[in-house]
Amino acid sequence: MIGPSPAVVARINHIPKRKRGLTAGARASRTRRVVICAALLTLTNVAFPQTSAEYDFNRDIRPILSGKCFKCHGPDAAAREADLRLDHRENAVDFGAIVPGEPDESSLIERVSSGDPDTRMPPAGDRLSAEQIAKLKAWIEGGAKYEKHWSYQRPTPPVRPVVRDESWPTSEIDFFILNRIARAGFTPLTQAEPAVLLRRLYLDVIGLPPSVDEVNAFEADPSRKNYEAHVDRLLKSKHFGEKWAAGWLDLARYADSNGYQHDDLRTMWPYRDWVIQALNDDMPFDQFTIEQLAGDLLPDPSPSQLVATGFHRNVPTNFSGGSKVPEVRANILHDRVATTGTVWLGMTLECCQCHDHKFDSVSQREYYQFYAYFNQAIPEVSQKGVGMFRKLFVGREVDVHASEADRQRAEELRDSIAATERQLEDSRQGAALVSTEKKSASKADGSEVFADFEGVNPLAGQSTTHKAKVTAVGDTPADGGKFAIKAVVDASASAAGHYGIGFNLPIRDQSEAAEIRFWIKTDIEGSFNLQIHSDTKDVNVFRFSIAESELRTWKQVVAPVASFSVPPWARRKADWSRVNMVRITAFGNGPYAGRYVMLDQLASLKSYDPAMARSMKLAKRVKQLKTELDAITTSTMVMQDAEMSQATHLMIRGDYTTPGDRVDVGVPGALHPLDASLPRNRLGLAKWLVADENPLTSRVTVNRIWAEVFGRGIVTTLDDFGRQGAAPSHPQLLDWLAVRFVEDGWSVKKLIKTIVMTSTYQQTSAAPATLIQRDPENKLYARGPRFRLPAELVRDNLLAVSGLLSDKVGGDMVYPVQPDGLWKEISGPLDVSNYPTSVGEDRYRRGIYTVWRRGNPYPSMINFDAPDRSTCTVQRDRSNTPSQALTLLNDPVYVEMATAFARLMESWSGSDRVKVVRAFRRALARHPNDDDVDTLLELYHDHQSWFAVAQVLMNLDEAISKP
Amino acid sequence: MMNRNHNMNQINRRDLLRRGTLGIGSLALSSLLQKELSASDTAQKGRVLHHAAKAKNVIFLHMVGGPSQMDTFDPKPALDKWDGRALPVEVTRGQKFAFVTPQSRVIKSPYGFKPRGQSGIVMSELFPHLANVADELTVVRSMRTNEINHGSGELFMHTGHGRMGRPSFGAWTTYGLGTENENLPAYVVLKDGPPVAGPSVYSSGFLSSRYQGVEFRSGKQPILYLDRPEKTSPQERRDVMAAIKRLNHNAFDHYQDPEIATRIAQYELAYRMQTSVPDLVDFSSEPQHILEQYGVNSRSANASAFARNCLLARRMVEKGVRFVQIFARGWDHHAGIYTALPKSIAAVDQACAGLIQDLKQRGMLDETLVIWGGEFGRTPMVQEHNAGTGAKTAPGRDHHKECFSIWMAGGGVKGGFTYGKTDEFGFGVVENEVHVHDFHATCLHLLGIDHERLTHRHQGRDYRLTDVHGHVVHDIIS
Repeated sequence: MIGPSPAVVARINHIPKRKRGLTAGARASRTRRVVICAALLTLTNVAFPQTSAEYDFNRDIRPILSGKCFKCHGPDAAAREADLRLDHRENAVDFGAIVPGEPDESSLIERVSSGDPDTRMPPAGDRLSAEQIAKLKAWIEGGAKYEKHWSYQRPTPPVRPVVRDESWPTSEIDFFILNRIARAGFTPLTQAEPAVLLRRLYLDVIGLPPSVDEVNAFEADPSRKNYEAHVDRLLKSKHFGEKWAAGWLDLARYADSNGYQHDDLRTMWPYRDWVIQALNDDMPFDQFTIEQLAGDLLPDPSPSQLVATGFHRNVPTNFSGGSKVPEVRANILHDRVATTGTVWLGMTLECCQCHDHKFDSVSQREYYQFYAYFNQAIPEVSQKGVGMFRKLFVGREVDVHASEADRQRAEELRDSIAATERQLEDSRQGAALVSTEKKSASKADGSEVFADFEGVNPLAGQSTTHKAKVTAVGDTPADGGKFAIKAVVDASASAAGHYGIGFNLPIRDQSEAAEIRFWIKTDIEGSFNLQIHSDTKDVNVFRFSIAESELRTWKQVVAPVASFSVPPWARRKADWSRVNMVRITAFGNGPYAGRYVMLDQLASLKSYDPAMARSMKLAKRVKQLKTELDAITTSTMVMQDAEMSQATHLMIRGDYTTPGDRVDVGVPGALHPLDASLPRNRLGLAKWLVADENPLTSRVTVNRIWAEVFGRGIVTTLDDFGRQGAAPSHPQLLDWLAVRFVEDGWSVKKLIKTIVMTSTYQQTSAAPATLIQRDPENKLYARGPRFRLPAELVRDNLLAVSGLLSDKVGGDMVYPVQPDGLWKEISGPLDVSNYPTSVGEDRYRRGIYTVWRRGNPYPSMINFDAPDRSTCTVQRDRSNTPSQALTLLNDPVYVEMATAFARLMESWSGSDRVKVVRAFRRALARHPNDDDVDTLLELYHDHQSWFAVAQVLMNLDEAISKP
Repeated sequence: MMNRNHNMNQINRRDLLRRGTLGIGSLALSSLLQKELSASDTAQKGRVLHHAAKAKNVIFLHMVGGPSQMDTFDPKPALDKWDGRALPVEVTRGQKFAFVTPQSRVIKSPYGFKPRGQSGIVMSELFPHLANVADELTVVRSMRTNEINHGSGELFMHTGHGRMGRPSFGAWTTYGLGTENENLPAYVVLKDGPPVAGPSVYSSGFLSSRYQGVEFRSGKQPILYLDRPEKTSPQERRDVMAAIKRLNHNAFDHYQDPEIATRIAQYELAYRMQTSVPDLVDFSSEPQHILEQYGVNSRSANASAFARNCLLARRMVEKGVRFVQIFARGWDHHAGIYTALPKSIAAVDQACAGLIQDLKQRGMLDETLVIWGGEFGRTPMVQEHNAGTGAKTAPGRDHHKECFSIWMAGGGVKGGFTYGKTDEFGFGVVENEVHVHDFHATCLHLLGIDHERLTHRHQGRDYRLTDVHGHVVHDIIS
């Protein structure tokens, strides 16, 4: 029996109102009685019986204070009312809110139980229940002891609890579970039937189902030894990492696009592959942490360690036209802080952007100290000028190759390119010599000067797009004659758009030109275009830029004709046989008012110059080599810190435009101290996170892995181990797992093995209705874990059942079939709108490889609760919706799977009944019952359609659930 | 083998299943199912959340891009004299702009304004149809937002936060109020032009994905994956559904897992949706005068698409859909205040008026809150160059967050009422500011929801649509 009997309730109601003046002994005995009875009162459904006669501050009292009082009487100094803190015992006692041992003297009790709405606390929201008030009273009566929040204390190895039925446990974990099950008056269930157990194990460890042959073999020998052999083999499978990476990629908010407007694709899949590989290698979790947070800061980091830091380059990035770089950066860094806090500490730091935490001991200053670690990063986003439409990633990237062979070839190619470019440069020097020497002579030398600004009217032919003062000046480059042209932009010019200076020439044939070159001197930094027009909208451009070091000095720009392109705003490419305008334009780097551009010696070189011809050949060769290199190389974003320490300021109200005090790097004082010997950068932070003294990282991590297997965490708020989070249902087990995890060298595989070897895990999930009604959420773990598979595994499992699954691991993202036009619907004219549907085996890859476009995610995956990865997601929803039914019934992808499955059935030998049984076992592993078989046979016979049978099997609740 | 002892309805299960083909076959199961649904769902039919509601439903017409306030509902005659000059520096100091600069010159509105209806609401001459329902509208001229980019602006307007990841207004509404029709989604999205931030704008964020906006697409298949495969006959589909149900029942007998019972119900709903959804989008039962009232057969493709969406929205609300979100394309007038804006307005004017008249004649306007607006307003200053190419363009206006205009109708707001005031330039609010958070608080209030009490605990914090802000604007409530 659980829950209080009516008699107990009645006794509670008759407890006399306590008065002052009782003897200490009398008070103590009465306290105990009150406490025991009140504790029983809290039992509902299958709450856990409390054996302790005392209230536990962390379990019973803190949640009340935190939920009702801390908002105004807690850690947040700015929001604090009446200078009262209830999270500090000393302050609360000094204030008189709490008089230890004297609940009736304590103003806390008086205020929360007041009948007068004007004085009653809390002033808004629901009042405290009688039960909560009773708890507070009992706690104060017992001395009002405070304890540090449980999760801030280091886990200690607990003592194995006593159980009566010693035959059931097969592992340490089982003792903790059984002890609790027995105390609730239940008994654990028996082991699941072998076929079900094996399917559960396969889905949990590698996310794919066992074959019918494997199931048969296991049924023939379902021994623990054979089971363990399966466990060991599956943990070594290359598919292990694919299964376990998905949850981590949710945390890492890994996606293949930037998010927000435009939502361009980015290359982050090497990071995704890094996660899969690290899991397959069973990289210890502490190292896994350090490489992702600070791989770049390790001594002489390997390319793989750099790729690992993609963890924090995964942040969504707002590249819309009008967004401001400092704003984008602040949002990126806030995300890094929040994600780090959630993933490793199970702490919500986000609220401290604007104010001190209202419930946990983290101040706004401490938040920005944490932020300072991430603020050391070099600029990662740039806006090359005020008017430019899109921003660019400018942070560090690292080249990666899909294979070792590619890597070696890439190295050879890079050497060849460097050598060829050297030859090219030598050759150009030669050509330049020829052309300048003979420039005033005949045109036969291959050079033709368009504009040298000498002669009677040096300014003839020029025009500007903005109002500007144009003069001929005596400042010229070497061999530039007497004059150059100088345009100074008028003060009234608008900052937006571009600034240009153009030369309208009589129609000239440049079809034989190999190179355009000219000299420029300017005080405008950044992007320029050299435009060749044959009509207003028939244009080719060559892009070049002026670096800061080249400002205000003459620079010769050489533009090989092969390097011109057609800009997006042109109607078509220029006709080089009738060039009528050459324009040199600064763009996206204004405002231009008062700035100048000087030009001289605008010339073209023809290709029949022998030195020129050689240059062209070499340039072509370089282009070829680069094309080959590009084809086998991809680059992905990684972290890098600036060499100089960057100042970080607290942001008033979280706004980057209102900086407050300067802060240095640091960690929240409520947690373990930072070892002074650690570097004061992300590497130090990462090491602090995995330090032995950290009470949170190991607990948070084992809890997440436990939840992935059992469907709920020992702490159900996987993302919040703070004071507002749920208390652990099995605190000792949580500590045992956390301690063991670290002792086992942070091995995720060992932890998973430990879990799947337990009797707890192996129980059948077919439970009596009474058990399910009394423990609907399986809080006690008194039955096996049974729940719907996550989105990727719904796909993977059915692909495997259908026989279509490709087992290729890793590589570029893939584009499985999706409804036509989805990417067109969302995009604007400048956005990626083409969905390049994969062909061949890439149509049938595991879900983890499907392109993850934040603004336009793969629809069938979203229907099964995959997140859009716009933020760190710790726990996915497990909804059960009609869209899921429609997806499995009608999505062409699942129709194709059912068709393939039907073809398999067709190809099998044996009677229809044999085929049906085999198909059933292929889909669900277990044996069908007679009614299942009869139903399917009847369906087959009515329609002569194995496809119909396949559809039924693939649409069963069991087919998309772990059994 | 399977233990069948706890099968509650073993005896007649087969008969019941066969006879009903798709109806819920067993009382025990259906009661269990109801329990499961209500235990997991805050939403119940006719639920009163915090106080009596004025509005039951919402139709939110979002003009994607951000309509210009001074060319639509907020006349600024003073701009005539400022035309061609820069605004005073005190006005623009410290302000963020997307593409124009503080020095950019002002451009007056080329359009005339007139008082309309009995109430004399002043609106641009570009709305001849809407003028006929002026007395139903509350125009709010003093809206303000925090964002100047489309993606973040849309997110702010719909989720109360400029970054991705939060639940939308529609998701919060259905989370709070649930659905009135189990055969249709409670929150539907219709669009002829998508929001640039994509589905995040109608996402359920950290709420259960049940509260996500379900997109109805134009064309033959309004919901993705609604149509059965071509090779499957209706009879085969029926028999497949019956077999799925039966095997799921067998599994339920074995596992007793309520999720299986829910799955059975969801398959039945999916099956019903294969009929109810096409019925919903089939306008053949609508009389000609209704089609004309909305302009469904307009020769302009944009006008026709928007009109269809408005009519569909009315049909949905009539069937109990709680929240219909419509997105209309083409309101980002960086260029073309003279040329493009009149076309954008012409594409929505008739259908907006038609929707209000139709709701009214059916007695539905009182309970349906219709909202028209965009993610922000536009600058009094002109933009004359394409931000990307620098090419010269027809005069337009840039993004502006300091003020913009929206209107609301029905659902408990006043009719023929203008609220809030902006400065002489249409640059900033000078009276009765309605920040987006206030707008959300007010809409939720009309729906019977206290915006401070509709919360969801996520990552250690109680989140709400209005974050830690928002005041109900009682002045606009009738």
